[in-house]
Amino acid sequence: MASMKYLIQLAIIFGLCLVGDVISLVVPFTLPSSVISMLLILVLLSSGLLKEHSIAESADFMLKNMTFFFIPPVVGILRYSSLVQSIWWQLLVVNLVSLFACFAASSWTVVLVQFVQKKIGGKRHA
Amino acid sequence: MLEILSSPLFGISLSVFAFQAGLFINKKLKNPLANPLVIAMLIIIAVLLLFDIPLDAYEEGSSIIYMFLTPVTAVLALSIYRQRDVLRRAFFPVVLGTLAGALAALSSVVVTCNLLGLDRTILASLLSKSVTTPIAIALTEQFGGLPALTIASTLISGVAGNLLAPVLSKLFGIKDPVAHGVGIGACSHALGTSKALEIGDVQGAMSSISLSFSALWTVLLAPLFF
Repeated sequence: MASMKYLIQLAIIFGLCLVGDVISLVVPFTLPSSVISMLLILVLLSSGLLKEHSIAESADFMLKNMTFFFIPPVVGILRYSSLVQSIWWQLLVVNLVSLFACFAASSWTVVLVQFVQKKIGGKRHA
Repeated sequence: MLEILSSPLFGISLSVFAFQAGLFINKKLKNPLANPLVIAMLIIIAVLLLFDIPLDAYEEGSSIIYMFLTPVTAVLALSIYRQRDVLRRAFFPVVLGTLAGALAALSSVVVTCNLLGLDRTILASLLSKSVTTPIAIALTEQFGGLPALTIASTLISGVAGNLLAPVLSKLFGIKDPVAHGVGIGACSHALGTSKALEIGDVQGAMSSISLSFSALWTVLLAPLFF
């Protein structure tokens, strides 16, 4: 039965993704099923209803090789090459500017919030 | 010949070998620009063009790999769960950091699109580009944009985030692993997260939780910017 372990783990993960699909159809706002499935698995793991060892090996296989699964959409860009070619530098500028803005805003906010929390925590302990 | 190439096995094996070659070249060159994903993409596109193989034939197999993208995103939950103690301590930094990131991403896209004179259809397609591809496409359709452009942009953001993740922290003086992970997840979704997982456990977990919080914030806030 040990050889079935990985297939059973995959089936559990796929099954939970299908549940996520169903939930995404029911909820009244736009949330992709992959994000819902992720939150669902997180809730199940945290509540103890799903044990880490029930999905661990298969999940780790996917996590360790995650980049591989992005090859298909990256190659699929070939299909839209003429559209991308006509505005490629504008796309690049918009993306890079917002990448830097987003990284700076989010990471500096984290540093700031941690600093404030430390101050408050320090006062409480003093 | 085309019948053989249209077998799903062709697209799958080409992808695996191209990615293996990408990993090998990346290890040899030790340069962040020699990204395994970019190398794999170049090899596959070169093979398709060189042998005049239609993209449809490749996609018979690659669509099976693509199908895994939902479960791959979903099992990020496990990496968050394993870092639950770090997350419990970093709850407010994550929630507020991703809020700031989503606001910065949305407003900078609006400003640069206007400055470059891009029309509203293109703005609609780019607005959601820093979040994970499935939600970005859903938002684009909601705003009447072109999903193809959204895919291109989420890929540029993701690949750039993946490539630049180690550089960005130095550039902005970020030493804290939590701040680094949140920054990566907020601006370059799962593709950046795959890099964050390589950098460290804390960075990987923070990046995975941040990509979901960013998606939630973006769903809530994007309508205000369009």
